[in-house]
Amino acid sequence: MRAPRAAYPLTWRVMDVLERLAAIVWPSSFQRGLPYLMLMPALVLVGLLVLGLVQIGDTSLRTLDTNTFLMSESYTLANYQRVLTESFFATVAGRSLVGSVIVTVITLLLAFPYAYLMVRTPSSALRKFLLVALFLPFFIGQVVRAYGWLIILGNQGMVNEALGLVGVPPIRLLYNYPAVLFGLVQYMLPFAVLMLAPALTAIPGELESAAASLGAGWTRTFRHIVLPLSRPGLVGAGLVVLTLSLTDFAIPAILGGGTQDFIANAIYDQFFRTSDQGMGATLSLMLVAVGSMLVGVVFMLFGAGTLAMTGDRK
Amino acid sequence: MGVVAADVRRAGSIDQVAVSVKDVGMAFGDVHAVRNASFDLPQGRFLTILGPSGSGKTTLLRMIAGFDRPTSGEIFINGQPVSAVPPHKRAIGMVFQKLALFPHMTAAENVAFPLKMRRHDARTIPEKVERYLDLVRLGGYGDRRINELSGGQQQRVAIARALVFEPDLLLLDEPLAALDRKLREEMQLEFRRIQKELGVTTINVTHDQREALVVSDEIIVMNGGAIQQKARPVDAYRAPSNAFVANFIGVTNFLEGRIVELTSTQAVFESNGVRLVGIAADAALAAGLSCSGALRAEQIRIAPRGGRLDDLETVVDGQVVDCIFEGDRVVYEIRVPDLAGVLMRVFDHDPESHLQFGPGDEVRLGWNARDMHVFQK
Repeated sequence: MRAPRAAYPLTWRVMDVLERLAAIVWPSSFQRGLPYLMLMPALVLVGLLVLGLVQIGDTSLRTLDTNTFLMSESYTLANYQRVLTESFFATVAGRSLVGSVIVTVITLLLAFPYAYLMVRTPSSALRKFLLVALFLPFFIGQVVRAYGWLIILGNQGMVNEALGLVGVPPIRLLYNYPAVLFGLVQYMLPFAVLMLAPALTAIPGELESAAASLGAGWTRTFRHIVLPLSRPGLVGAGLVVLTLSLTDFAIPAILGGGTQDFIANAIYDQFFRTSDQGMGATLSLMLVAVGSMLVGVVFMLFGAGTLAMTGDRK
Repeated sequence: MGVVAADVRRAGSIDQVAVSVKDVGMAFGDVHAVRNASFDLPQGRFLTILGPSGSGKTTLLRMIAGFDRPTSGEIFINGQPVSAVPPHKRAIGMVFQKLALFPHMTAAENVAFPLKMRRHDARTIPEKVERYLDLVRLGGYGDRRINELSGGQQQRVAIARALVFEPDLLLLDEPLAALDRKLREEMQLEFRRIQKELGVTTINVTHDQREALVVSDEIIVMNGGAIQQKARPVDAYRAPSNAFVANFIGVTNFLEGRIVELTSTQAVFESNGVRLVGIAADAALAAGLSCSGALRAEQIRIAPRGGRLDDLETVVDGQVVDCIFEGDRVVYEIRVPDLAGVLMRVFDHDPESHLQFGPGDEVRLGWNARDMHVFQK
């Protein structure tokens, strides 16, 4: 028996026509190609990045002729030799590496309790407050925030004025290594918390109750249950903080005042101050290499599976 | 004389109270999750706290475990008040609703965890772990990771982990709720076997009345934060202390009416002009008050209209509205015009006859006065 026409509304007819049109444009035999098509934009972006790296690699093999300010025509490893032998570059690289490791450790130490409290607190008001407090600095750019620290920590800044009131002579709080590290930690904290929070959410609170009922006090529950289970989050957050602070530019430039350059600052100087593109490209590649090696070491130590990218393991 | 003293001590230990809950309450602001709960549980007994969700049964269990602190009253374990004792200092094994096994450890490491935390001698741990894995019939599975075990096997690991340190008390927080029926029934018997084997005092929380009846030595029925009845399973079923218990356990018909006559044991009430007789099951009954008579579906016999139900004290006529075949029994829904058209549910367990009626058939129902429990409404 045919269904009455009224039972088939106009909107359905419109959808039928659209579907038929769609079938002409994109036949169902193409369906299997759809996921790959959706992957294309990402692949193009990554491909461009590789192209850029090839270009930089090419540039890094040419030296600057200081008489003509032109890049040499022939390939040479002179730039790499300079980077590996001159102590200036070793100092900058060492400063960046040690700095980023210190920043990572301190950031994780501070971010963990913050994220834990944010995830576990029964009070939704406190959770909202913590989230807002976390996101607020995001709305202020890195440069503006660094200038903010200049105002607070400068010789005539709020901290020194307050100290002056109680008779303490002004202390130099800026343009040194601790100031840069301090600024970096403050900048990285939200990233770390945001990466840790989902990992901690994934640990059922019941596990901590269970550990307690089995005889583990708070510290031992933390050490044997919470810490091992939050390792994916810790590794992910650590990697992000490590690479971001290793490659940071603004904080060392502003809070270091030119005396505490990180690798990114040295690259900037080569490209835009001395115009030695070859040297800049070499330093860039070294930075990529060092960063990749650090990530590789972390993956080897903790396993790539720690980012919870194990797929469906049964 | 020494012998006598020893005997007295032993006699004392048989009835020794393992858990004593005295006037315990839990209030969140104005909301009372648990109100004035009191009971004693002797050593070695299996108690089930039965109630619908929101009845306060889990809150009561969490207070005994030490995760929540009572806002009034006190809990005693082996005679000691425990409100100030944190959970990890109490010797209580607990099987959680979602099991809460540690996913980053193997089955054996999970079972060994409480022994390590309680600083047992490291040399004895492997042997104990093996013994308890054997007890739950998981010998040889120790090296498996938790996600490599089936649901039933995970249950068993959770039980072994909760028992391996020989706790004073085992708490079960609806651990079987998520299992399918067949596995659940198998695990109920398993819980019972292990509990009897070890003699550990156990408190189980569930909303599953069948589980409560199957596994327990005693049942506490809770509703609205208050204990409704504490009794042996058979007594809770046969002699419910109020209408809630009668309704919650088993399938029960309620006939509303008004008391016309009351003796110490019998209550006569009138429902829509029909005189009904039942057991006066409620002390608060009085002549003239409205009441409801509770009658189990399996206590009602069904016969064709005009059929002889001479041996039964009360007989009414009705019409079959629906008939549901459940395999081992048939559930009839029968409308009784004489009782204001009330729908009564009747079980027929007799495989010879149990499908003889269909919807629309005129039937006759009968029951005995001793099976009708009359409560205040």
